[in-house]
Amino acid sequence: MTKIKRRTFVGLAAASTTALSMPSIAFGALPRVVVIGGGAGGATAAKYIAKDSKGAIDVTLVEASKRYYTCFFSNLYLGDFRTYGSIGHNYYGLAVNHGVNMVHEWALSVNNAAKKVNLGSGESISYDKLVISPGIDLKFESVNGYSAEAQSKMPHAWKSGTQVQLLKNQVKGMKKGGTFVMVPPPNPYRCPPGPYERVSMIAHQFKKSNPTAKIVILDPKNKFSKQGLFMEGWQKHYPGMIEWINAETHGGIKKINAATMEFETDLDTFKADAASVVPAQRAGRIAMNAGVNKGDWCPIVPASMQAQADENIYVLGDASIAKSMPKSGFSANSQAKVAANHIRGSLTGSKVFTPRFANTCWSLVATNDGIKVGANYKATGEKIDKTSGFISKTGEDSNLRKATYEESIGWYSGITSDMFS
Amino acid sequence: MKSKLVLLSIVFSLIFTNSIFADQKQLVGADADYGEHLFGECVTCHNSTGLGKGIPKITGMKTNQFITKILAYKSKEKENAVMQMVAERLGEEEINSLALYLSKLK
Repeated sequence: MTKIKRRTFVGLAAASTTALSMPSIAFGALPRVVVIGGGAGGATAAKYIAKDSKGAIDVTLVEASKRYYTCFFSNLYLGDFRTYGSIGHNYYGLAVNHGVNMVHEWALSVNNAAKKVNLGSGESISYDKLVISPGIDLKFESVNGYSAEAQSKMPHAWKSGTQVQLLKNQVKGMKKGGTFVMVPPPNPYRCPPGPYERVSMIAHQFKKSNPTAKIVILDPKNKFSKQGLFMEGWQKHYPGMIEWINAETHGGIKKINAATMEFETDLDTFKADAASVVPAQRAGRIAMNAGVNKGDWCPIVPASMQAQADENIYVLGDASIAKSMPKSGFSANSQAKVAANHIRGSLTGSKVFTPRFANTCWSLVATNDGIKVGANYKATGEKIDKTSGFISKTGEDSNLRKATYEESIGWYSGITSDMFS
Repeated sequence: MKSKLVLLSIVFSLIFTNSIFADQKQLVGADADYGEHLFGECVTCHNSTGLGKGIPKITGMKTNQFITKILAYKSKEKENAVMQMVAERLGEEEINSLALYLSKLK
């Protein structure tokens, strides 16, 4: 069904005057773009390349999942502000509305010289330009004692999906008056305010059904995103429930034991009744396979998001080194539009506009208490430089906080519609 | 009677022509393609189908209404940290291009 629709779309577009003016189409071969990863970066890139080229570029999106659960707003599911179903999306709109060819398989490897992506099925797809937007992989070994096996006892829940459901189940089932231990990741990582919004949402759950419970945050950092705002909110909504212990104070997490639920630090050994451990991160494996990484992340050309190591590959979102932009869904969506415009320009000769980047991250502290941070960015020779920005203020009026929360709901609806329809 | 009708139609056509002229005069440097490209920045938050709660619909907004609002955010007369930041880096060409593109949307 999807395939037929795509062919219809391409067929119609090829008959249009614009498309016929393209030399490659005159010879019957459309330029091909393959996008790996159907999240905020990849889905947006696939959509905008297909939509804006009006059928002049053949776009294939390789994404293993048929249903995508967003990481953003998964904390709101933990706090009962969203249902699990409401953060799930499919790719029907991309296929039907924009003619994106959906391939629900794993991309196993990239042959840069032959410009081919090898799939789990054994087949391969050729590309003229490749977009890699694989998100993150977790470095389990970064926390001594944590492992892929331990993730069911202490869910990281940092890639959405069933891990988030598991974590919620463990939070709701924690013994009365018990202790929840949260281990946030070290910098840089996906969604800087995420661990602290997670703590807020878990505290919100405990306040309702387990008010004598405690939350201990064993942070490998000495400061964190929106710190003043979260601290103020925790004091206001969950007094005495949350204790944040920074690296300087606990001296580092020496070892964790998933069987006994113990966290050993210089300061003390903490015993948890439930826990979430988010280890250090790196770019998704396929980026490493394509050889576009330098260490854990992928350096890019700021003006286009092209990989520094391969001009035919673009790296978007969390996997890229897009400093000063944070690793967020909003950033990935913004970067995807810059890359899509550049790819279309290089394949069809369409106009390439000056890149514009932006980001805003909303977080929920408690019912109707939303906070936000945002910035504009521009590409310089070396980096994606912040040009201006804002952050919510402590002591803000409750009506403004409510409006900020409602704005975040509008944003979720907007960005997911932008990605998937 | 006939002359009154003629006069009325002249008056109407003058009003109509003037309003079109007024709109076009404001849209200096407007380019609908550039507007469409810039609009990509808007739809990260403003649901293009206009269904989003908490963030208003902007498709179908009248040209003058759009320009007035953006300028009010730019001058920080109108409150909203995100919109003030968005408007801050929109110059006349960008605002007019967006206005032109938006006016073409339903």
